[in-house]
Amino acid sequence: MNERAIPVRNGRFEVDLLEGGSGDPLLFLHGVSGLEWTPLLERLSVGHTVIAPRTPGFGESTGTENLDDIHDLVFFYLDLLDQLGLHEIPLVGHSLGGMFAAELAATQPDRFSHVTLVSPFGLWDEANPVADLFSMALPDLARAMYANEKSEAAVAVATAPQARMTEVDPETETGQATIKYLVDRAKSMSTAAKYLWPIPNRGLAKRLHRVRQPGLVIWGECDGIVPPVYAEHFAAQITNATVHIVPDAAHMVVDEQPQIVAGLIDRLLSR
Amino acid sequence: MKIEMFHLCPYRDLPEDFREQHHSVWVDVPRHLFDGEIANRTYNQTLDELKYAAEVGYDGICVNEHHQNAYGLMPSPNIMAAAMSRETEDVAIIVMGNSIALYDPPIRVAEEFAMLDCISGGRLVAGFPVGSAMDTAFGYGVNPATLREKYAEAEELILRAWEEDDVFAFDGKYTQLRYVNLWPRPLQKPRPPIWVPGAGSIETWNTCIEKGHLYAYLSYSGFKRGKQVMDGFWKVARAAGVDNPYHAGFLQLVCVADNEQELHDKYAAHTEYFFNKMLHIYPGFADPPGYRTIDTIRAGLMAQTTSFGRAGQEESTFDELRDAGNVVAGTPGQVADQLEQVINDLRIGHLMILNQFGSIPHDLAKENIRRTAQEVVPKLRHLWPEYEDHWWPQNAVVRDNIGAMPE
Repeated sequence: MNERAIPVRNGRFEVDLLEGGSGDPLLFLHGVSGLEWTPLLERLSVGHTVIAPRTPGFGESTGTENLDDIHDLVFFYLDLLDQLGLHEIPLVGHSLGGMFAAELAATQPDRFSHVTLVSPFGLWDEANPVADLFSMALPDLARAMYANEKSEAAVAVATAPQARMTEVDPETETGQATIKYLVDRAKSMSTAAKYLWPIPNRGLAKRLHRVRQPGLVIWGECDGIVPPVYAEHFAAQITNATVHIVPDAAHMVVDEQPQIVAGLIDRLLSR
Repeated sequence: MKIEMFHLCPYRDLPEDFREQHHSVWVDVPRHLFDGEIANRTYNQTLDELKYAAEVGYDGICVNEHHQNAYGLMPSPNIMAAAMSRETEDVAIIVMGNSIALYDPPIRVAEEFAMLDCISGGRLVAGFPVGSAMDTAFGYGVNPATLREKYAEAEELILRAWEEDDVFAFDGKYTQLRYVNLWPRPLQKPRPPIWVPGAGSIETWNTCIEKGHLYAYLSYSGFKRGKQVMDGFWKVARAAGVDNPYHAGFLQLVCVADNEQELHDKYAAHTEYFFNKMLHIYPGFADPPGYRTIDTIRAGLMAQTTSFGRAGQEESTFDELRDAGNVVAGTPGQVADQLEQVINDLRIGHLMILNQFGSIPHDLAKENIRRTAQEVVPKLRHLWPEYEDHWWPQNAVVRDNIGAMPE
């Protein structure tokens, strides 16, 4: 895997790009918890060149102040894809990135050969509301994100430091690391809020029918952030997509069941 | 020195086990706990207490805005201020204030404040709070990450609407108006003084210094914590050449009695009600992402301060709250001495006093208001004689050095 920062739109954005593997390109858009080179991406990079940009506002990617709403975000990504010369590529988006992927595919359907949405935000069903992840206590958030609350990843979420109750000693290395973590988290969550606050509905339902590529809608059976019933809501409009509910997984199905998710994507792309 | 009485208009009748049984006093406080008959009594007693504070010698009366909560029942403080503009003769009417980022278009605030200024005859203080996260982000659905930008744009529009002579067009990011032409306009020229209530954000200090607005630190963490924040404010202020104490205000809970036994008997339970029930706020509603700026988070962490949200903490007792400076309680002499120290330590020209807080009932509230106004306030008015108060409404009474009015 190779990581580089590339300027977009004459340097108004500086975007981290993770790239790995070989073969035809595949675009991956990460979710609310940020971007890492996970086992899923490693597995997808066998047979594909995985290109995973870090959304402005997350980590070291800059320029979030130039983005006010979902439309700004879509045109930012289209500029990035133009710059990278990416056309007719498969698109995979998870969580917040799933919402972005649906918006991108609705805006320029011809740009993408296949569309895979994994537990995406973007629709609102009053009878089955999406969780208010911005106000949830961390242990509740961990249980909503992971099917196994005892897993290492779930425990890490449940016990993460919080700015309002964490005492840090700025004189120490650990203290500085905690401050960096908290500042990064505040930046990425307030970036996510641009697209999700107070209700994650920016009108996608009016555009979703334009997503007509062969596709997948993948959901963790125990997703406590966006309930699995939303899989049917997405599939109702994306007529060429098939729905897969993955057991023993929740919102973080990409990390919880990477082999299953990668297998589904492989099969889609070989069609 | 100016001393004003602040009223939160709290719901005084929450059940004894509220803290144990319920999630939060704000945002999702159960509606079945609301009783319209109790609210009828609460509003009218609050208005009577505000009027009484004006009668017994306070310099001004303060009301403020909160939403979807039992802590303060004034989603529109302007309604209270309108009543007080008619019920009082000369005190400052201090609306602390209208959360200007919440109104679309924000000239609604410019209009209502102009009405209040005209009705009161130029006695209005216009408060421009950013608003708590509970009120703004959760109660009114504003993305906390855009709240401050929206606030800044609203402020610019309101000030221009008050001060400019001609009709103008406003092309903002959040508000677009082809014609801005305010009727009525404020009576005070060019406009009422602006007070900005803050809870310790460093951006608010900078804004107040740059624009010349009064900075009012409103918190219940008491004067000991307040000193940390006000020291931060004065550091920024002095760097800009500002040292007038009237540029700053501070809020303090106060209760007065003749001896320790009477203090405990009369005020202990009501004070505990305030800190343990009124501030029982689910922490997830107090600090959503983007509400505090990155600079404020970093500065807070660097200074190792922690606050925000008391839910889940241990209950506090009256004695602990006194020791920590959350409430100033004592005989009139003791209270005056302690407040003088607070005024000097924090360097404030405006002290806002809560005499009714928590479940303090009407009669006791009036007693506390009267004794504070007549036995404490006169001992403090002589402070800061060498400074001029540029933040006082043009037609509100000035009682510095005059002392209390007769009963």
